[in-house]
Amino acid sequence: MLMPRKPPKGFRKPHHPDRSGASKGGNRVVFGEFGIQALEPAYVTNRQIESARIAMTRHIKRGGKVWITIFPDQALTKKPAETRMGSGKGSPEWWVANVKPGRVLFEMSFPNEQIAREAMRRAIHKLPMKCRIVTREVGES
Amino acid sequence: MSEVKISAEPRTEFGKGGARRTRRAGKVPAVLYGHGEKPKHIALPSREFAAAIRKGGANQLFAIDITDGTQVLALPKAIQRDPIKDTFEHVDLILVRRGEKVTVEVPIQLTGEAARDTLIVHDHDTLSVTADATKVPDHLEASIEGLEAGSSVTAGDVQLPAGVELAVDPTLPVAAVTAAPTAEQLEATLPEVEEATDEAEAEVGEVTEGSEGADAEGGENTEARAEA
Repeated sequence: MLMPRKPPKGFRKPHHPDRSGASKGGNRVVFGEFGIQALEPAYVTNRQIESARIAMTRHIKRGGKVWITIFPDQALTKKPAETRMGSGKGSPEWWVANVKPGRVLFEMSFPNEQIAREAMRRAIHKLPMKCRIVTREVGES
Repeated sequence: MSEVKISAEPRTEFGKGGARRTRRAGKVPAVLYGHGEKPKHIALPSREFAAAIRKGGANQLFAIDITDGTQVLALPKAIQRDPIKDTFEHVDLILVRRGEKVTVEVPIQLTGEAARDTLIVHDHDTLSVTADATKVPDHLEASIEGLEAGSSVTAGDVQLPAGVELAVDPTLPVAAVTAAPTAEQLEATLPEVEEATDEAEAEVGEVTEGSEGADAEGGENTEARAEA
């Protein structure tokens, strides 16, 4: 499962990342032929990324390639259940990628478009926000 | 590529407020510069501009007729789009003259089909070429017909129309043909993932235990302070 090797010093328990605005980069399909683009902001956990990747990979069976273009580099913390407030910040619970609208999350290369779209549709069901399937646009500036 | 005639009007208000008002009025804010002249801020009609770019690509030549009486030829240099709505937010246009040589990024289209059980990996989807400003090709073609796994297409393999020259190293890789992963190779990645998941869970558990200990100490300190 994707996660940083070691969180940088002083970033083990960061504040929640900013969810406002749209994605500044990574908005286009650059490696494969098709991609999954986020339409809403969300924190995508490493489990959700892995689950989506497995769903896609299992459907295409063979002859394709999947790229993951996000990385869960932000730790989110949680206080244990039935604990009183105070006594410091909770412990790291999830590793998430801070995804903003427009970001391409996964890319795929597969010869059959129909199968590729079905694989991506299955992967979208594993993700916590609205997404759409986009195709590579050659020469877009 | 033939030029598209488009009318434009000078822009008098700037900044995000002014730009948003321009967009709401169905226009695209743009800036026109080049040839050492002062930049000119203009607004282009959104529908006509979008149609021209859709048809002619990002290197469409425009014959711009500005309402102050100036007529200029320009090529888009940078186009900013909204990633969700795919509308045009702003356009940078560079002034060109007839007969002038320009260096532009032209999209590459791969034609034909590679050998069975191969996968195409794109290294570059545009190529920098030098051409006459009025004769910029809308795309370049490179054939991948029958290529076997392990072969590649370089900039030198791309067919260039007459009057167009490469502005990059001819050995620049454009696309590589790789062997498509087999079912066994894909399946082999999945169990590894499950093992990795268990390891990761164990690591998270360790971290949680460690941090709880720290918190517990913190808690004692808090209580001690309260008692004091």
